[in-house]
Amino acid sequence: MTPAPARIILICSGKGGVGKTTLTANLGIALAKLGQRTTVLDADFGLRNLDLLLGLENRIVYTAQEVLAETCRLEQALVKHKQQPLLSLLPAGNPRMLEWLTPEDMKKIVELVAAQSDFVLIDCPAGVEQGFKNAALASQEAIVITTPEISAVRDADRVIGLLNTMNVQPVQLVLNRVRPKMVANQEMLAVDSVTDILALPLLGLVVEDEQVIVSTNRGEPLTLADTGSAAGRAYHNIAKRLRGDDVPLIDPSKERKGLRARFLSKIRQMGLF
Amino acid sequence: MPAELIPSSGEGQPHLLKLPRWQNAGDLAAEVGDALLLSPHLTGPVTLLGGDWPLRMGDYQVLMARLAPLSLSLERVCSLETGARVAAAALGLQVSGPGPQTDGAGDGGQGASLSLPFVIHQGTLRSGEHRRANGSLLVLGDVNPGAQIRAEGHVLVWGRLRGIAHAGCSGDRSAVIVALHLRPLQLRIADQVARGPEELPPVGFAEKAHLVNGAIQIDPADPCWPLLSVPAQRSGPSAAGSA
Repeated sequence: MTPAPARIILICSGKGGVGKTTLTANLGIALAKLGQRTTVLDADFGLRNLDLLLGLENRIVYTAQEVLAETCRLEQALVKHKQQPLLSLLPAGNPRMLEWLTPEDMKKIVELVAAQSDFVLIDCPAGVEQGFKNAALASQEAIVITTPEISAVRDADRVIGLLNTMNVQPVQLVLNRVRPKMVANQEMLAVDSVTDILALPLLGLVVEDEQVIVSTNRGEPLTLADTGSAAGRAYHNIAKRLRGDDVPLIDPSKERKGLRARFLSKIRQMGLF
Repeated sequence: MPAELIPSSGEGQPHLLKLPRWQNAGDLAAEVGDALLLSPHLTGPVTLLGGDWPLRMGDYQVLMARLAPLSLSLERVCSLETGARVAAAALGLQVSGPGPQTDGAGDGGQGASLSLPFVIHQGTLRSGEHRRANGSLLVLGDVNPGAQIRAEGHVLVWGRLRGIAHAGCSGDRSAVIVALHLRPLQLRIADQVARGPEELPPVGFAEKAHLVNGAIQIDPADPCWPLLSVPAQRSGPSAAGSA
């Protein structure tokens, strides 16, 4: 029996700085922890930093560029993660790759990597230019990540439209950096209003979490250690849903209300009021 | 079928100069010359229905040189051929896609939207997508913020309209914009522009925007949408032009 073909997933957003690379790194670790052979591919050749987030920068010898030029074997270029050997990274080559890389090159790299993985996660560059197109044409499905800000949602909408014309299916949504308190005070776009516009199945909600910054700077994705942080849990849940597990989605703004209501009703029950 | 010059269907409407199929046609100047000989008394603006002719700037210049002595002026070009549209735009001519059907062009007295094809767009128009129709346009889906739809006739949205809509974009002031959920960023009807309403629209009631005394006004939609003619064209999201 031949093994099931790898799932090739593009992680994109349109706008920069909404958390593509962070999601790729965390999801990579979380999937590896679930026993999936996962390869993360840095397609952001101009501004590569997936290696930084994974803490693998100092181990890179060869990159996708050498693999394409066939001056090294794929195994030599893939960097295995220290603690999670099921996860490996194919680093982006030098920024000049942007000038000559074609969709065919990208497809070739992805096919090579897919042959020995269960999941291939492609960290897409921001924007909708050639870098995005190369990455999208090499992918089967996509995760669009956005934050509850109108500019990020607008860009995500544009990207979804483009993905639809490129035959990338299914496209799922991750809503990042949600602040339940601000949503409750109607200072931030609610989850509903985002999904309303984008009309995509919601794969996950990640709350704003300072731990993300800490872990990024340390080069250890949140999902690596079980710190129990809110964002870390969210990333783990996304990985499980991606694998097909049924993990219920909880809207943090509603959960918050629920807790408060529960607390109040408890006080009432105790006869304090 | 040779080239023909179809007289204007009413006051303010252009004459239509229809070229034959390119494959079985002769030289452009000869074709047009024949058409002009047949109706020598016409003057005024002309819309060229270029079909699949790969017209370039030189061709348009030849054409304009032929029309000018007869007080005819080429103002708009409808063409199926991209290069021809680009060349026309470069010369400052108005440009549109596949030309209006001419079989309804004789029924004077009614608005322009009646004689034009009725286009259905299936699927949501997302940010950055621009859709333009020569006749009336019905969108089965949402029009998201950042998307733009324009039609020479009516704009009808069976969904949420949150982008920019322009009805009667070539000047038909009787055109309306109807949507199940009308909250566009901006509304345009003919040459009028208005910002969309700030407050939420009433739930469950379709609304229409139309021109009242020269200003755009939003009212509850009529139960009967202005679906005037039979669908002539269908297109999916993939056919949407993005700019």
